[in-house]
Amino acid sequence: MTEPLLKIENLRIELALRSGQAPVIDDLSLELNAGETLSFVGESGCGKSMTALAIMGLLPEKVGSIASGRILFDGRDMAQMNDTELRAIRGNEISMIFQEPMTSLNPVYTVGEQIAEVLRRHKGMNKRDAWARAIELLDAVRIPNAKSRVSAYPHQMSGGQRQRVMIAIALACEPKILIADEPTTALDVTVQAQIFDLLRDLGRDTGTAVILITHDMGAVAEMADRMVVMYAGRKAEYGPVSPVINHPRHPYTKGLISCVPHLLAELTEERPDLTEVPGIVPALASFGTDACLFASRCDLADDKCRSQRPPEVAFGDQHSACWKADQI
Amino acid sequence: MTQIDDTPAKARSPFSEAFEMFRRNHAAVIGLVILLTIIIIALIGPMLYPGDPFDMVWVPLSPPGEEGYLFGTDYLGRDMLSLLIHGAKVSLTVGVSAAFVTVIIGITVGALAGFYRGWVEEALMRLTEFFQVLPTLLFSMVIVSLFGASLPMITLAIGLVSWPAVARITRAEFMRIRELEYVTAARAGGVKNNKLIFSVILPNALPPIIVQAALMVGSAILFEAGLSFLGLTDPNVASWGQIIGSNREYILDASFAVTVPGVAIFITVMAISLVGDGLNDALNPKLRQR
Amino acid sequence: MSALLDVENLSIRFPIKRGWGKTSWLYAVDDVSFQVNRGETLSIVGESGSGKTTAALGVARLVPNSGGKVDLAGEDFLALEAEDLRKARAKVQVIFQDPYSSLNPRLRAEAIVREPMDSIGTLPVAERAGRVAELFEQVGLRPEQMKLFPHQFSGGQRQRIGIARALATNPELIICDEAVSALDVAVQAQILNLLRRLQRDLGLTYLFISHDLGVVQHMSDHIAVMYMGKIVEYADRLSLFNDPRHPYTKALLSAVPSVDQSRNVDRLLIPGDPPDPLNPPEGCRFASRCPFVEDACRVDQPQLNAVTDQHKVACIKA
Repeated sequence: MTEPLLKIENLRIELALRSGQAPVIDDLSLELNAGETLSFVGESGCGKSMTALAIMGLLPEKVGSIASGRILFDGRDMAQMNDTELRAIRGNEISMIFQEPMTSLNPVYTVGEQIAEVLRRHKGMNKRDAWARAIELLDAVRIPNAKSRVSAYPHQMSGGQRQRVMIAIALACEPKILIADEPTTALDVTVQAQIFDLLRDLGRDTGTAVILITHDMGAVAEMADRMVVMYAGRKAEYGPVSPVINHPRHPYTKGLISCVPHLLAELTEERPDLTEVPGIVPALASFGTDACLFASRCDLADDKCRSQRPPEVAFGDQHSACWKADQI
Repeated sequence: MTQIDDTPAKARSPFSEAFEMFRRNHAAVIGLVILLTIIIIALIGPMLYPGDPFDMVWVPLSPPGEEGYLFGTDYLGRDMLSLLIHGAKVSLTVGVSAAFVTVIIGITVGALAGFYRGWVEEALMRLTEFFQVLPTLLFSMVIVSLFGASLPMITLAIGLVSWPAVARITRAEFMRIRELEYVTAARAGGVKNNKLIFSVILPNALPPIIVQAALMVGSAILFEAGLSFLGLTDPNVASWGQIIGSNREYILDASFAVTVPGVAIFITVMAISLVGDGLNDALNPKLRQR
Repeated sequence: MSALLDVENLSIRFPIKRGWGKTSWLYAVDDVSFQVNRGETLSIVGESGSGKTTAALGVARLVPNSGGKVDLAGEDFLALEAEDLRKARAKVQVIFQDPYSSLNPRLRAEAIVREPMDSIGTLPVAERAGRVAELFEQVGLRPEQMKLFPHQFSGGQRQRIGIARALATNPELIICDEAVSALDVAVQAQILNLLRRLQRDLGLTYLFISHDLGVVQHMSDHIAVMYMGKIVEYADRLSLFNDPRHPYTKALLSAVPSVDQSRNVDRLLIPGDPPDPLNPPEGCRFASRCPFVEDACRVDQPQLNAVTDQHKVACIKA
């Protein structure tokens, strides 16, 4: 097997709280291969977005920092890079799209200018080539009538079109990794389907690896090859999507799947109550504890769960950090 | 069922949290200490430092320190320290009362304009704009010269020219809060309009108005000083501005007679600004997260 | 079965000012009719701009309507004015979307729940405190939490306070306006179960507004699908989800990604965005995005016609 494109080893990110340092990401390791889609799932506050920001080198200064571990991109450790080196990678080899397509675009420039600006900065293109390429990119993200829409301002576009523009900007430099942080949460479901369709095709055509951060198990099932379930800064479970979704080995994964009323191929009269995962994600201050952090919400938990952090157990490609993984 | 309890059992009102924020802001606390000191001096100073400030006690324009007069004497030979202490009360009273007038008019106009749409809003906003474009100094001079230079009239004049800023802030806040779901919820819960305005929306609109009112006190003190300097004042009361105004002809020979009350105004207004800034940060929920 | 809520030809339009003196009208809700039976849940689904929330708030008289009839428990709700309307509001309560902006930050939880009782409740003053405590228990909050302020609660707990407030006046109808869409999935399940339990225990009637078809599937007895201010399809739960007839409903259902991977085949992707609501197209409003469109679609607006007893579709090809 070839070297993975991105390799995260024992990453620990600490956040400065009033009460001290808390690990928002605690001993995270994973690999991302070229052309694949990896999905991060979990509730808010579980460290999904924090991981993405760390990969982008965009951790909030003075608040969060990498305490230990490595982020190897193309064999180089991003955790050791200075700002200049990171900037050369960011937006160029690794780019990112966000949840809110309205606020991520600058309202006073046309979308063409904003795409062209990226091309000129990172690719050193001249004005004319950059403009022509901007039109090609808008066309590639399926904005109808790209030639005239290139001169439109963000407010003249719909939410879905703005997200396409964001994707066009992110793809402008043919990145090796595209990080999509809840890219469709603000969009309607028919538009989400269009964006997913687009992302899937782009991944296939350009070989760009995609990291999709989402809370929607359905989206994971549809979009991703492999998935990482994050809970309280730790990896609860990871592995290829089908086995994880069809037979989760961690009670949190199981809860996340069964607490959502899904659309099924054939609906029946029966409607049992949804499985509840009681409580909420614990407070940041307790993140570093040597215990299973999910224990307080888990009906399988016993004393061991509450006093020792569970190691990862492998079931083929599927890994679960649960003391009771074999019972699930 | 396991329940994670993340809720502290003690109820902490938004105000107690704001107070906590304010306490952590050193500049604001220093400002508040200075301001309280000045207020205490204004209130009990006349008792501790007896004597009528209008009595001639020594030769005119004697420099500070001579004959035990800490800040010297003014052009009529009156004790500057005594004048300053009495002036503090006058200046602060004018400042606070003018801010009060401003806030009352401003909130009434702004709240009505922000709550009701249509012609009420149109009419009130045109009125606000009318008062806003008036040259403030000139307009207040006209009022004072027409109706007499008494302190209540001066206070009223300052209030009359200053309220549009408060009205605009109030209206903007009302328009924002009016659309929030808890206001809709209150409407759905059958809450009457006057209660909606005064006990649902207004308390939530108050933070920026409080800040504005605090800063208003400072600018009203300055405004009164400006009017006094121009001679539009009651000569029978000694505000700080009036002390400056009456001594201004001797500025070259006895600069202290103008500087000392000037510094008093400066320190007071600065203290008010620090407190206002502190309030602004403390009442801003976005900053409170940290 | 008798309909508790009978909405006939409800229209709601908003003026959009365009320069001096020029006003266009945006028809957020255009000639919409539906019924809700007592003890049942009708869901209105649709995407942003479909008018689903406006329709519900129009029923509750929280936005001004511009025509139609709303009959609630035998009373002509749109005809009420001033004080009569204020008092009648006890009959319709709303659970709002945003657990953060829907609670007055300056009031304690108990005061929030009590507010509607004080304004329009029929309960004697002496019994109100007891009723507040009872409501807290019903929605799964602890008595000592009554004294806390909204910011001291988590999102799910805040939504429980909102539910308690909605129950305070013993309303005939409760409108759930995207009541769970701002919550994390685990918390969402808790709230959905609570809403269903309350419905069973208290015989509540819900008008449930949501864009989430999974949630709608779980909660509803009947569903109305809205597109650009119009109801395009109305059916009972099984008919709508197992046998959708309108192309928009089909597209909507097939757009939802699901963990049931057998669903993720043969996707019906519709292109583009809804047209400008200020200039709705002639004829069928979905024509510009419909994969099955033909010339006749662009002529007349299709009417909502019954295909079966419980199933109505506004499409000439249905």
